[in-house]
This record gives sequence, structure tokens and C-alpha cells, in this order.
Amino acid sequence: MEKRSLVQILISRQELSLVLVVIAITAAASVKAPAFMTQSNLLQILEGSVFYFVIACGSALLVVGGGLDFSVGATFTLGGLLSSQLMSEGLAWPVACLLGLLASIVVGVVNHSVITYWHVPPIIATLGVFYVLLGVTTLITGGLDVVPLPDEFQALAQGRILGIPNTILIAGLVGVVTWFVLEQTPFGVNIRALGGNRQAALANGLPTKRLDLTLYAAAAATAGAAGILYASRVGSGQVNAGGSSMTLSVITAVLIGGVSLLGGLGTIQGVVVGSILLSLIDNALVLTEVPPTLNTIIVGSILVGAVALDHLRRDHLYRKR
Amino acid sequence: MSSEPVLSLRDVRKSFGSVSALASVSIDAFPGEVHAVVGDNGAGKSTTVKIITGLHAPDGGSIELLGEPLSHRRSTAGLHEHGISVVYQDLALVECLDIATNLTVGRLPRRFGFLLDRKAMRRDAQAVLDDLNVRVKDVSTPVGLLSGGQRQIIAIARAVRLDQPLLLLDEPTAALGVQETAHVGEIIDRLKEQGKTIVCISHDLDFVFRHADRVTVLRLGRSVGTRLTRETTRAEVVGLITGALSRDLDGAA
Ligand SMILES: Nc1ncnc2c1ncn2[C@@H]1O[C@H](COP(=O)(O)OP(=O)(O)OP(=O)(O)O)[C@@H](O)[C@H]1O
Ligand SMILES: [Mg+2]
Repeated sequence: MEKRSLVQILISRQELSLVLVVIAITAAASVKAPAFMTQSNLLQILEGSVFYFVIACGSALLVVGGGLDFSVGATFTLGGLLSSQLMSEGLAWPVACLLGLLASIVVGVVNHSVITYWHVPPIIATLGVFYVLLGVTTLITGGLDVVPLPDEFQALAQGRILGIPNTILIAGLVGVVTWFVLEQTPFGVNIRALGGNRQAALANGLPTKRLDLTLYAAAAATAGAAGILYASRVGSGQVNAGGSSMTLSVITAVLIGGVSLLGGLGTIQGVVVGSILLSLIDNALVLTEVPPTLNTIIVGSILVGAVALDHLRRDHLYRKR
Repeated sequence: MSSEPVLSLRDVRKSFGSVSALASVSIDAFPGEVHAVVGDNGAGKSTTVKIITGLHAPDGGSIELLGEPLSHRRSTAGLHEHGISVVYQDLALVECLDIATNLTVGRLPRRFGFLLDRKAMRRDAQAVLDDLNVRVKDVSTPVGLLSGGQRQIIAIARAVRLDQPLLLLDEPTAALGVQETAHVGEIIDRLKEQGKTIVCISHDLDFVFRHADRVTVLRLGRSVGTRLTRETTRAEVVGLITGALSRDLDGAA
């Protein structure tokens, strides 16, 4: 193996180049705004990334496996709103959460069916499901938010253990489990094989349809779970939570994190950094009183840069035949 | 013929839309034999392999494995249970995964039933490569970094590792240099000694006459004749490939 230059290492490990971006923003923000480097603000940044991240975990698995889900923002809304509605109708909160989660998984199954059996490309299929879901969520409550929610349910996300918000702990847990599944199980390898070369996966006897189904269900499940967590955090079921901006943020976090849209490549570590980066940019811009329009300009540029880097990485990794 | 065929294709037909890929293909492959399949480009050789493995469903005809009919609509997932392993012409390797993973995917070693055993994966992969005298720098090299010939050898090693009684090879030497071709020939000879049945597609008649016991010629989607290599000549095989010699009467296999 030849010695690799710093540039090459940065290219092949996208999360490392991202960490540099994070450090740069942190440094700039802490110089301009003294409030930035406080413990409470740093926790706030982490907490802000939690919902992106939980959804992004399932979506990252799906994208590594060669799929794509644009409906996650609406599934997020559905999970939170349906669970809240069921609670407000008197159902015990764990049961309500479980049903909300189940409904989300059904969305994943629907996505998979439309893609697999009706041969609709994933982007279109999940975009269609996204719009349908937006309507459905409005129907659930007649367009109203659901309040109040049971105290025990709110304690789930609003509590702290040893000073750390539960949301961060839960997201950490989801991250570890997802990392484990992707890196340490045969299922994870099968996902990479599926996304890396679908023909080969099929030819080598992998159950491609079952893998697809599992991935779409997982992407929807984490979206629904994040929606439930969000309802618990804010103490209400919100009709306008999630939606298209959530979908876009999640996909951005996944792609910035170095998961390749072409499938096969990507790590959960990268998605962690990608999610934190989104939240960090939000926070830093507010504290340094930069006009909010700059936010989208910066995020857009980073996204395009990250995907260009992904292309470079593939060139670096594969020689042309 | 002394024994029953391991694999028997009878009048197998296949069209892709309006393109007729196979008009009528019949092949009998016997245990412990190397059975070559030759024919010009587009004759239907790869299609035949993909029908045997279940990647394509035939339109008609029958396929029997050890006398048992194979269902026309089956998934490739059951291939190993049928005792078949295969190297496709288009290779079917995953470029972003390393050599060890490519050699083991589909049959990954596990710990406690659910954990991936990476150590065993590397060990198995290295053992297979050592056993076949294949030298690679490191089994954790992504396959995307290998040359065409190296990929070919990895794909063959993958199939050999599965250790199935029937091995299908679609142009295993197409991308290989002289030395590597001889190497694949040795591997085939050895598998044959172990009593395995090998169906090998090739354009290389030298290779066919050196390593195969029997050769079937496909022409325009039809099996036009099968010969024992020790009883035929290159001229006859070439004649069948080009159509200069007329095909055998049906049923002559
Ligand atoms: N998936 C497919 N869709 C449509 N046509 C196909 C498909 N696969 C094969 N064909 C057609 O079937 C015919 C036989 O193709 P096949 O690949 O079996 O030939 P071959 O004998 O393997 O040729 P080669 O020596 O070039 O590998 C060709 O005319 C080809 O265009
Ligand atoms: Mg071919």
C-alpha cells in the first residue's frame, strides 16, 4: 500500500473533512459570539440535531442500500400526530406510541410496494406518498394541533439523566444500534452489496426484495419514532411539524455525512457529523446575528460540495475498467 | 453413456420481447465431466446460463437437475440449495466491497448467529485464495481497485469456495493473460478430479480442447451438436459454429 497523502485521506473519509468544517464554524462562532461556547448552548446544538439524526439513521441505511425516501418528513408528522391524537382519546401512551410507530412502518411498506410492484422510481413514489400523507395527517385532527399530552409521555423527551437531555441519550442509542446493524451484522454487509451492485446482489442469491422491504420499513420507522419523540419534547402533536423542510434537512444530513446516493458507501459516524453540522449552522448564524437567508446558502453550498467530494471519492476508490 | 446427467436441458426456449435469444437448446452434462459450450457472439450461451440459475425464466422446455425438474420460476436465492454455483460473464462483484466480503457475501460467517465474523471472513477468503494459488496484496482491497483479470479470478474463487457439485462458468478466461488462463485451466482440472461437474462457456477452442470432455455448439439460439472432444476436430467444431456444417438431427446430444 502506498503512503497516502492528507488530501487522499480526507477524500476517502468524508466525516474527517466534515469535522474540519465543524471546527472552523465553531472557532468562528466562538470568537464572534461569547455565548456560543457555553455548555448550555452546545447541548442545545446537540439537541437541535437529534430529530434530523434519528430520521437520518433509517434513511442512511436505505440510501446505502440503494434506495431513497422523500416521504420521511410527512411520516415524521404522522408518527407524532397520530400518537398524540390516540393519547388524547384516552389510549395509554405506550400503546398510542406503538400504534403511531406501526402506522409509520405501514408507510414504509406502501413505499416499497409502489416502487417494487408498480415500478415507480423511488424519488417519485416516495414524493407521491409524501403528498398523500400530508393530506392524511391533516385529516387525522382536522388540521388542529393536539394538546395537552400526558405528563409521563412528555417526561420521556423532556427529562434529563445526569444533566444530559433524554433526547440526546435516545438519539445516541438509535445511532449505536444503527451503526451496529450496518457494520457488525451480515444484514449490514448485504445492504452494502445491494446498494453497491444490485445485479450482483441478485446474482449472488441475496433476497433483494426482502432487503428492500426491510430498508423502507426501517426508514419510515425511524421517521415515525422521531415524530413521536418530537411530540413528547414539545408537549403537543403538531400538524406543521416535519413536512418538506424536514425531508430536505434529513436527506441533506445523510448526503453531507458522506452516504453516497449511488449506494454502497457511507457510515453512521458521517451522518452524526452531518446532522450536528446542520444544527450547528442554524445555531451559529442566530448567535452571530447573520441574516437567516445566509443559512440556506451555506447549507446548499456544503451539500453540493459534499456530493462532489463523493464523486471524487469513487474515482479514488475505483479504477476505470 | 454410463451415468445419468447431472444437468439436463431439453428444448429450452427464451425470447426477450421480440428478440428470440434461445430457439431450442438441449444440453446434457454428466458427473465428473467438463462440458464446454461454444458459439458465436449472441448465440445464446449466457442466456442459457442465466436460465439454469433462475435469473431468467424460460418460455418453454425443461431443465432437470439430477433427474428432478427445476421450476421455471424460481429465485436465484435457492441456487446453493440446488447445488449450483456460477460465475457470470458480467462477473457480479460489488466494487465498493473488499475482496474478502465479495468472496463470502451470500454466505457470510457469523458469530452467535447474528454477528458478522470479520476475522473468519478474512481467514476464509485468504484460505480460498491460497488454496487456488491466487496472490493478492490484501483481502481488504476493494474489488473496484482490481484489474479486469484479477476480478475474474476473484469471481472464480468465489464460485469454487461454494464447493457445489455443479459449477457454471461463463467465459472464465475472457479477461485473462496466458499464465492466468493456464491457472484457471488447472483449477478446472482439479475440480474435475474431485468429481465435480463443470459447464464452461468459452470462445477459446485451445482451452476447450485442452480441458473439456464434451463440447456443445450453440448457433443462433439452437444447440446444433454435441461432441466428445477426443472424438472430434477443431475443424468440425468450427464448422458447427459457423454453420458450414449442418446441425445434427434433433435429439442427438
Ligand atoms: N436481458 C436481455 N434483454 C434483451 N435481449 C437479451 C437479453 N439478454 C440477452 N439478449 C439477447 O439474446 C441473444 C443472446 O445473448 P447471449 O448473451 O446469451 O449471447 P452469448 O452467446 O452469451 O454471446 P457472447 O459470446 O457475446 O457473450 C442476443 O441477441 C442478446 O441481444
Ligand atoms: Mg455471453
